[in-house]
Amino acid sequence: MKRKIALVCAAAMALSLAACGSTGSSEPASESTPASESVATEETPAEEAPAEEAAGDFDATQAITVVTREDGSGTRGAFIELTGVEDDNGDNTTAAAATQNSTNAVMTTVANDETAIGYISLGSLNNEVKAVTVAGVAPSAETVTDGTYTLARPFNIVTNGEPTDELAIDFINYCMSAEGQAIATEEGYVGAEGAAAFEGTLPAGSITVGGSSSVSPLMEKLIEGYQALNAEASIELLQTDSTIGVSGALDGTYTIGMASRELKDEEVASGATATVLAMDGIAVIVNPANTAVDDLSIDQIRSIYVGEVTTWDAL
Amino acid sequence: MKTSSVKAKEKVMQWVFTLCACVSILAVALICLFLFANGLPTLGKIGPLNFLLGTNWKPGNDLYGILPMILGSIYVTAGAIVVGVPVGLLTAVYMSRFASPRINRVLLPAVQLLAGIPSVVYGFFGMVVLVPAIQQVLKTDFVRKVLHINNGKGMSLFTASLLLGIMILPTIITVSKTSLDAVPESYYEGSLALGATHERSVFFTLLPAAKSGVMSAVILGIGRAIAETMAVVMVAGNQTWMPQGLFQGLRTMTSNIVIEMGYAAGLHREALIATGVVLFVFILIINLCFSLVKGAEKNA
Repeated sequence: MKRKIALVCAAAMALSLAACGSTGSSEPASESTPASESVATEETPAEEAPAEEAAGDFDATQAITVVTREDGSGTRGAFIELTGVEDDNGDNTTAAAATQNSTNAVMTTVANDETAIGYISLGSLNNEVKAVTVAGVAPSAETVTDGTYTLARPFNIVTNGEPTDELAIDFINYCMSAEGQAIATEEGYVGAEGAAAFEGTLPAGSITVGGSSSVSPLMEKLIEGYQALNAEASIELLQTDSTIGVSGALDGTYTIGMASRELKDEEVASGATATVLAMDGIAVIVNPANTAVDDLSIDQIRSIYVGEVTTWDAL
Repeated sequence: MKTSSVKAKEKVMQWVFTLCACVSILAVALICLFLFANGLPTLGKIGPLNFLLGTNWKPGNDLYGILPMILGSIYVTAGAIVVGVPVGLLTAVYMSRFASPRINRVLLPAVQLLAGIPSVVYGFFGMVVLVPAIQQVLKTDFVRKVLHINNGKGMSLFTASLLLGIMILPTIITVSKTSLDAVPESYYEGSLALGATHERSVFFTLLPAAKSGVMSAVILGIGRAIAETMAVVMVAGNQTWMPQGLFQGLRTMTSNIVIEMGYAAGLHREALIATGVVLFVFILIINLCFSLVKGAEKNA
């Protein structure tokens, strides 16, 4: 009996050791990766550099925590295209980038990690994080409009060919009218200027709008605005994502789909028609405690995201 | 006349019961069918070896290798077991044989409450409390200069293991406690009669007698840990590289599916379903182990 007990104990210990080993043994591997090696070599000279004093308490020798969105996200698609992270070889985002699957998760991560950098929709920006200027231009509705802020993408509303539903036509007219575009601008996005005032037929009926979670906050305001004019209209808003927004518009699940990116060729081939609702800037955000950077060039952003630069002082 | 109507009633009810029983079997069968019918052709399209042993996951570049995610799932689960099993087992022993009824009146509901907390709440707790705390600890000179851990990240294998270890505690505690409670009192009394102390009796007589129950607890814990999604997504960092160490981020199979499913289209989507197939096979193996342990218990 005693022997059996001893055996069980030994097996349990061996198991736990093996488990420790499997997690522990992977650790030395990290030192042999090129990314951490380059950090180790850069660390020593930088620590003596006096530049740190100017940067306050922030230790710029720390490795950058790169935060990105998941593969296939509309925001990521636009970001990698605009910054040149994506080239002919495809998406070159560094494998070391932490991936979060929503705008809020990216913001929380950046707000909690002083070494982090991330990117979000301009309309979602708040005080928990610091938006850097890109090539000297601060992100704002004005700079996106005049084209000086280059990280911008369209918000599209998608229909299956030309809309046929009376209410859908009228609602789209409202969105594109001076009133609708003013709401977009008010919410921090960039609406078109000089649109005609709304002259709707205000039919009764019910439609479903669904798609991108980035477009949803704006769509909500537009629906509120429209329903204030047309109490007979029942408009349901469903929040999913760009791809489902387009496919839903095509298969009839949604009367109107929302997409925070340009349509793909295969989607256009299936009959999807996109109308640009507004432009949205993509803000590059860092932790407010990060005093090492206030401005990044497009190329600096690219080199951070492809993993060429791994510490803040190496920029 | 009356008996035949009763019989007919019984027949009908029997059918109703059978139908109810079939719902769960049908659900499992349909899920299996869906997974394998969608996943296996994809496996063929990408190439089973490229898919299972590929080290690059870049859907944008048509690279679908899930080895990093498979290893990620295994490491995170192993980490959770290292954290959760010792704590859970000792808690079960304490609750079963040491704690006074008064303490148990507090402990038992606390453990049950722990089991009832939604995983997204665990994840949020991990994200706003654990991650920054570990980030701070990793920045201290002791960790950097004495332990030589540079570049550690708050979102890491360590954090995910810690959080999952806490999450599997209720499973391990309740299952092992039940099996400890089920050990016949005569074992304990016999041990005492031979002159062993209370502690000795508990650890060297009761615990070995309950070992198959404890093994079941560990296996159920593994199942819970490997299938956990929300909490892991929020604290693991989700990098698609091969796991780089205890204090670096990684991505598990479940995270991979939940992160990318919403936006994926075409082959990318199919590859995610195939990831689900691999995960499903893992769960099948774990359940098989569980049945084997249970079977061994019956034969013993």
